[in-house]
Amino acid sequence: MTTRPAAPVLLTYRPWRGQLHGPWHGIWAIARTSLLMLLRRKLFWALYAFSGMIFLFYFYGQYLQSWIAMQLNEQELRLGSGLVGITVKPKDLLELLKTALRLDGSGYTYRSFISFESQIVMIVQALAGSILIGNDFRFGSIPFYLSKPLHRWHYLGGKFLAVAVLINLMTTIPAIVLFIEYGMINSWDYYVDQWRLLAGILGYGAVLTVCLGLTLLATACGLRRIVPMIMAWTALFVFARLLGDGLAYGLGLNASWRLIDLWNDIYLVGNWCLGMPHGSIRPQPQPEYWEAALTLSGVCTICVVYLHRRIQAVEVVS
Amino acid sequence: MEYLIDLQNVSRQFGDVEALRDVTLQLPPGRIGLLGPNGAGKSTLLKILMGLLPPSSGSGRILHHELTRGSGAANWELRRDIGFMPEADALVPGLKGVEYVALAGELFGMSRRQAQRRAHEVLTYLELEDARYRKLEEYSTGMKQRLKLAQALVHDPPVLLLDEPTSGLDPSGRSAMLRLLLQLGKDFGKSLVLSTHLLGDVEQVCESVVILLNGEVRRQGSVGELCARRQNRYRLQIQGDPNGFLEDLRLEGVELVHDNGRGEVRVAVPPDWITRTFFVLADHHGVAIRGLMDDDESLEELFYRVVGRT
Repeated sequence: MTTRPAAPVLLTYRPWRGQLHGPWHGIWAIARTSLLMLLRRKLFWALYAFSGMIFLFYFYGQYLQSWIAMQLNEQELRLGSGLVGITVKPKDLLELLKTALRLDGSGYTYRSFISFESQIVMIVQALAGSILIGNDFRFGSIPFYLSKPLHRWHYLGGKFLAVAVLINLMTTIPAIVLFIEYGMINSWDYYVDQWRLLAGILGYGAVLTVCLGLTLLATACGLRRIVPMIMAWTALFVFARLLGDGLAYGLGLNASWRLIDLWNDIYLVGNWCLGMPHGSIRPQPQPEYWEAALTLSGVCTICVVYLHRRIQAVEVVS
Repeated sequence: MEYLIDLQNVSRQFGDVEALRDVTLQLPPGRIGLLGPNGAGKSTLLKILMGLLPPSSGSGRILHHELTRGSGAANWELRRDIGFMPEADALVPGLKGVEYVALAGELFGMSRRQAQRRAHEVLTYLELEDARYRKLEEYSTGMKQRLKLAQALVHDPPVLLLDEPTSGLDPSGRSAMLRLLLQLGKDFGKSLVLSTHLLGDVEQVCESVVILLNGEVRRQGSVGELCARRQNRYRLQIQGDPNGFLEDLRLEGVELVHDNGRGEVRVAVPPDWITRTFFVLADHHGVAIRGLMDDDESLEELFYRVVGRT
């Protein structure tokens, strides 16, 4: 007769002893969990795919231009025949394409790329706000977080980090990849000559991260649900733009009225980071760079103060 | 003596409202019930004990941590020694059970690997191992309660603060939860602070009790000490028709305090009463006394006596 070994007793409480890290460790855990929740929503994958397509357009656009340039020689090409045929210099044609598409590794390339991408980011954020932070209020999760060895700023820091990772994965990091790609397929000197552009990309990314991140946290704390969030973001970034345009261009008031358009303010400061001339921004006239920076600083300060008060209030009553 | 909770004249005000008034408590480690009607200050006291709210005045210690007015490192250290089970659901929608408990572990400062391993252990102990990969939205009320207990236990704290742990549970779920709490307290040496409206929960689990009313401590101490010994009160369990028997008792000067109509009566006897008289009279009327017990004050009676209601 064989005897079976006794099964291990699992249904008993086991004490745990181990090293605990500081509260900063919790920030990454909150950020990672928040990102996980966003990645699990199928709707977001359509937006990520769209964002990826924009990146691939720029990435292969740059590569294609370089490849075409290498295939061409100095000879003129005759397109068509007889009287209707024209003679073109391939290099001139390529230059024309470069100028039209702005895939020339200049500030214009990164400005337009980040500008396109950040519009997708804005849509993602309008949808993500209630998942990231609004649900914590709606479903009473705040006591779960605040009963741990964390300060409210750690909680907000975690949420902000999640937003920051999302924004930078869709804007700054792809823009840096484009920067690296352009240098690799053209000349290594590009990195040395255009190092300011790299700093500008990082600066534009930082402006987007701070402004959109704080605005998102503040609006999500207040509005919580997805539909009010979308309405608020539409008001902030679409209606405010229409109103600003109407006041500045329709009624011919001072260009400073455009400052109410936060999206334009972020764009202006991004242009400043990339070292773009003020006159290159369309339509004109535009507020000065410093005015836009000041407006964004004010908005961010209001968001921080609101967040401080909001989380404190919840801490007391929940 | 090392007290678990040692508060001296702790008060907390919210504007003009005084949520806690001169609370002085000295409670040794063990299983403590926190009783009081709505608005008595239980939640405020729990938050002060966790370092979430600073007291407006007064001082105190929880375990070996001083209560501070700030919200800095001292409070984080305090919260590492405490597991809090909130009354509200406090779940993070979209997560699975094991992810939720592991997240709690990481927030307490555990490494990711440790937190995940510990989450599996705790969920197994709380008999949620089959549901650990389910989304939190799919959990029943009883499972949610156990999950909230799991997230409080994940870092093995010496103290558990439990806010209405049996809220919303059916009788079997409630009984299972109370058994778990009792086991954690008795067998694994956890100190429990159980805030509840349900006196039965406190009676089953707790050794000592604090009764709060209007922000003040009205009673504190062990349940046995607080409930009054009543030398002249008995509880009788009778089999047979009790009417003649009770009538005779009345003639002997015994006061019928309560008759539940199902053969159990509570009586107050006159001084110099001889207990054997019950059996003599019962025998005379052909009824059997199946139980004769001292009728000491119950926790429920104590509670209503303290809060001034019947």
